[in-house]
Amino acid sequence: MNRRDYLLRKIFFSLVTLAVVVVLNFLLFRVLPGDPVRAVIGRNVRISADTQQALREQFGLDRPVFPDQFLTALGQWARGNLGVSWSLRKPVSEVLLAKLGNTLLLIGLGQILSIILGVALGLLAGWKRKTAVDVGALTFSLIAWAIPTFWLGIILLAAGSTWLGLPTGGIVSPSNVGKPLYTVLPDVTHHLILPTLTLTILYMGEYMLIMRSSIMEVLGEDYILTAKAKGMSHWQVLRKHALKNAMLPIVTLIAINLGFTVSGAIYVETVFSYDGLGKMFQTALVKQDYPLLQGAFLLLAVSVILANFLADILYTYLDPRVKAS
Amino acid sequence: MKSRKWLVQVILIAAVLLSACGQAGGGSQEPVVLKVGWTGAPDTLNPAYAFLTESFTIFDLTYSALTTQAVSGEYVGSLAKEWTHSDDGLTWTFTLKDNITWHNGEPFTASDVAWTINAIIADPDGWAAVSNYTANFVEAAAPDDKTVVITLDTPVGNMEYRLSWIYIVYPPDFEVFTTPEDLQNFTNDTPTGTGPFKVTSFDKDLGVIVMDAYADYFDGAAKIDQITFQTFDNSDAMIQALKVGDIDMVIDVPQSAFATVEGFENVKAVKTAGSYFSELIINSVPEDFDPAPNKNPALDDPQVRLAIAHAINKQDLVDAVLQNLGVVGDTIVPPQLGGGFWHNPNIQDIPFDLSKANAVLEQAGYVMGADGVREKDGVRLEFRLQFPSDNPLYPRVADMLTAWFKEAGIKTTPESVDPDSLYSQMTPAGNYDLVIWGWGPDPDPDFILSVMTSDQFVDGGWSDSGYMNPEYDQLYLDQQVTVDKAARQAIIWKMQEMVFNDRPYIVLWYEDLLRAYRSDRFTGFIESPLGIEIHHSMLQVEPVQ
Repeated sequence: MNRRDYLLRKIFFSLVTLAVVVVLNFLLFRVLPGDPVRAVIGRNVRISADTQQALREQFGLDRPVFPDQFLTALGQWARGNLGVSWSLRKPVSEVLLAKLGNTLLLIGLGQILSIILGVALGLLAGWKRKTAVDVGALTFSLIAWAIPTFWLGIILLAAGSTWLGLPTGGIVSPSNVGKPLYTVLPDVTHHLILPTLTLTILYMGEYMLIMRSSIMEVLGEDYILTAKAKGMSHWQVLRKHALKNAMLPIVTLIAINLGFTVSGAIYVETVFSYDGLGKMFQTALVKQDYPLLQGAFLLLAVSVILANFLADILYTYLDPRVKAS
Repeated sequence: MKSRKWLVQVILIAAVLLSACGQAGGGSQEPVVLKVGWTGAPDTLNPAYAFLTESFTIFDLTYSALTTQAVSGEYVGSLAKEWTHSDDGLTWTFTLKDNITWHNGEPFTASDVAWTINAIIADPDGWAAVSNYTANFVEAAAPDDKTVVITLDTPVGNMEYRLSWIYIVYPPDFEVFTTPEDLQNFTNDTPTGTGPFKVTSFDKDLGVIVMDAYADYFDGAAKIDQITFQTFDNSDAMIQALKVGDIDMVIDVPQSAFATVEGFENVKAVKTAGSYFSELIINSVPEDFDPAPNKNPALDDPQVRLAIAHAINKQDLVDAVLQNLGVVGDTIVPPQLGGGFWHNPNIQDIPFDLSKANAVLEQAGYVMGADGVREKDGVRLEFRLQFPSDNPLYPRVADMLTAWFKEAGIKTTPESVDPDSLYSQMTPAGNYDLVIWGWGPDPDPDFILSVMTSDQFVDGGWSDSGYMNPEYDQLYLDQQVTVDKAARQAIIWKMQEMVFNDRPYIVLWYEDLLRAYRSDRFTGFIESPLGIEIHHSMLQVEPVQ
């Protein structure tokens, strides 16, 4: 099979997955118990039964789920229209786009830092295995990987705000909202430190563990021994022969993680009151805001599928075995 | 704007990577800013279509109404200096205060008041959030700049209360909307009001509201320059922010954190009697109701209800579950409403007495079974005991109730249910036995009394007990049209007594209102059951010298 066929097959399966996701996406939220109208408004003194009914009609909830609501939604999506959020009264695409930027900023930073630090630490530990460095790095990574996100976030928040005077939440200080960007940059940086640190620690462990086991496996291969026998230095062996092969699992991991990046880091965003997608997911779920939930899950599904697709393509370049098959 | 956002993000990333530290420095003439933290946020700043309490907190600071509730609980003039009503109660005449101006400097006149009220009367669908306050209003007129005349078709017993919720809007902001949908989609992010603070920005995404003091406020300008509101998604983070001084004041301190906050240095934790209450709801839907209720029929027996009441140790609940942040409750009209005027003080609560509970059931013919559960004519005293899953206190309450009930030969099985599911299971399906839930009543007793009327037990209605009593329903209508306060009080006392004796609700407790502020920075807050964030209080707040 040549690369074109391989890609076409991958594209076909990606599209099938997407179609299944779209249908599930619609059904999933409608099996949730409760009434979205009441969820949007809460147990509120000021809403009469008439108003609730008007809202129900406005949301199209007075019509049967199938086929009416389903076909309407499908028709909208086909035209690239994600609908209007019930709780925010804004177009879903607009809401998603605004939050996506913030989330990519935070998670992107966290990912980049954790990839760099995690891979480096993993390499070091694998290279110096069974030394104090290895044991220390391993212990740190296992703890970092196992630690509950919420807990780590709160601890860092308490410590950082008490001893370093870092902010306790948000993206900018209230007094700086709406000011020109260059004047508030230091403030934004301040606000990003703690959540980024939390994410970095959390992701780092995983990268380090995968990198460590991967490099150890590769270093045990016969061709490494051959390379060493040829008289290459440790560094040359590592760089020329071990690293490329050892990176394969990391590429997969990065691809998968990047796909899920879009889902935001619900816990981290909630702890730090960070205005991103993850936090929005949670609010939308609590408010049973179907259009927003559907749009968000669609975005998530598309990015996960896309990331996996990209990983597949990348593999055809990185891994001769994929190229050959 | 949107296309630039990407560039902005890139610049931000670069900036963060460089990570230059240090806050933007400030001069010596810093304005006095009161930074408020809360866990909610307004749904919109458009009074026509705002439903959340947080919206009304902001309206209270930025808009004004003809009347306002004073910290004593009484209604006093806000825009109105004085008012009278005709003997038949159908014509109300208000005289406005002098020197009222809009935030943009334009003079405020009686015709603005008339415009707002008439707009609500004409378009109740559009003004959904406030239209119930103009029920029975015919029209408002402005015979001159200082006089507003409101005519009604039937007398209104709580006129001052109703007018306190009708925030007078700036007509040019609202005149342009011709359909209810257009009006409702208007977010009004920077309202033009007449109140002591002017909203300069409302960023819903970031959860930030900035308000500047309005120097020409008609009752005298505030002593601080600015208030900011910041939404926290996590109350632990909010409490930490107060501790380290990121914020100066917290609205709604979680009960679980109050003791901690009391121990903070330079922070004053404020506890005032509040009106939120929790109750045990006993399914009172009549057997012949359509749809037929699904409940244990023993609950219809007044003696069973009495025994349940005897088996609840309310003081223990307040001590152990509420951690003493509240008081034992008895009627559905809490003592805080109207400064205590509406609460019936003559009600004698049923004392906690397990042997009495057992005696009552024994006498009523419920025989103790071998498994410790009483039974009469094949009906066992075995009930579902449900509560909404979003309340952290109710699981504990359910456990304690279950333990006491067991001593009286009543078996209950606690179950946590998603609140929306619980509601649809109750109203109007009537598929439950006992439920623990709570209410936050309006300042006037009208709303909380309406919860017990028969016609509210419909889909989307407020009745969850299914209590149906024609005499009660009639009294409810009577109190609505009784303008004489003493006469209305007598009716309302009677209504409380009926609910207390029939026991569709057993009121467990009234919760305290919990607030906190940085006492090293600010002083002058008025502590009242209305909260320290109301405009009366914010006008007195000043920085510590």
